[in-house]
Amino acid sequence: MILYKIKLNTFEGPLDLLLFFIRRDELDIYDIPISKITGEFMEYLHLLEQLDLEIAGDFLLMAATLMQIKVKMLLPKEIDEIGEEIDPRMDLVNALIEYKRYKEMSEEFSFLEATQRKVSFRGNHKEDIIETEPELNSLLKNISIYDLIKAFQNAMMEKPKEIVHKVEKLNVTIDEQIEYILEKVGYIGNLNFIELVKGIKDKIRIVVTFIAMLELIKMGKIGLRESPNFNDFEIYSIQNG
Amino acid sequence: MDNIYKSIIESLIFASDEPIPSSVIVKAIKEIDGDDTEITPSDVDRSVNELNEKYASTESSFKIVAIAEGYVFGTKHEYAKYVGYLSSEKTKRRLSQAALETLAIIAYKQPITKPEIESIRGVNSDYMINTLLEKSLITIKGRSETIGRPLLYGTTPEFLMYFGINKITDLPKPREIEEIVKDSDFIEQKRKIMMNEVEENLEQDTINSGNDDNQVE
Repeated sequence: MILYKIKLNTFEGPLDLLLFFIRRDELDIYDIPISKITGEFMEYLHLLEQLDLEIAGDFLLMAATLMQIKVKMLLPKEIDEIGEEIDPRMDLVNALIEYKRYKEMSEEFSFLEATQRKVSFRGNHKEDIIETEPELNSLLKNISIYDLIKAFQNAMMEKPKEIVHKVEKLNVTIDEQIEYILEKVGYIGNLNFIELVKGIKDKIRIVVTFIAMLELIKMGKIGLRESPNFNDFEIYSIQNG
Repeated sequence: MDNIYKSIIESLIFASDEPIPSSVIVKAIKEIDGDDTEITPSDVDRSVNELNEKYASTESSFKIVAIAEGYVFGTKHEYAKYVGYLSSEKTKRRLSQAALETLAIIAYKQPITKPEIESIRGVNSDYMINTLLEKSLITIKGRSETIGRPLLYGTTPEFLMYFGINKITDLPKPREIEEIVKDSDFIEQKRKIMMNEVEENLEQDTINSGNDDNQVE
């Protein structure tokens, strides 16, 4: 269990883990025993799995890379333009060294940070007050493109306008419109449908009127015939059935 | 340069809320006393040195520090724990290892894109970059001309302030690759010595101020 603790607290990523293996076993970075290291790396991944920790994709990618190198090591070596053998481990080694460079510098940074924390500047108390109100944290003169992007994101995050679907109660019934049609037809006699709905403004009222008309036809109270006008028809009343 | 200017320079630095560059000091003096006043930024630098000598000789608790390309009054390390008691600034959490690592890569390779940072670190760095942006230690410097035109990141004046650095070129130099390969244990030992010292101090700070001094995360 002690082993778990060390491992889980220390590593910032797969490269960091590999560097740990190299340092611990005092390996030559230019001659890494790939098979051994791949084995250890996989063991670590299984450990993470057992502990129910989510394995980051970066670790899986590294595992795949290690396997690939391991396979390449078994095959005849590729040869570059100058005719020298290409070590399949070279890319990984370069990445490790590059990473190590900056990791070292981060330690220097940590030292600088610790030193600098001991110095207080004039006017630093004013900043403290600002800090309690995160919204005022960014002073206008220090504003950067990032602040703008953040502000934009905040603005976009604001609640979208609520979409209201209004349900309006119909103040028209088929019965009402039946009355209306009968009245009109009885009064004028023959009547074009267009004329019937002329004065009606609401779409729904026209629809209801149309339904009422169909209802009347079914009841046998009115009849339809073709109108001389294109796309229209005439309504006539059938008296007494 | 007249000796009176030493006091004027002192007053300007004292009154300034943020690091004031020598050029601004010169500009301020010329604005008041006329353009033909004989004073240059190097005169200012010399005066600052003289002032610091004066403070040292009188065992003063503060001195003028060159930081973020300007001058500012700062307290001496010895009084950190007492001054820290007044200000929550000092109880602020320290940066995590991951944040420092990301910051180091950006500091040395700026301007740099996120994919480049991630290829060096070998891990996804979204969160770290956002944290550093929020702390104003880095900022967006523009866009790269490569495919997808990714954003370029660089350090800010706040970064210089945070680490007590005057110019970005004053950063400690990263070791050459050959050196790293030659002695991989040297830096490790150095780090241990440094960390022990730092931790000891921190422990004292914690005991004295009664504040938690945990690292971020």
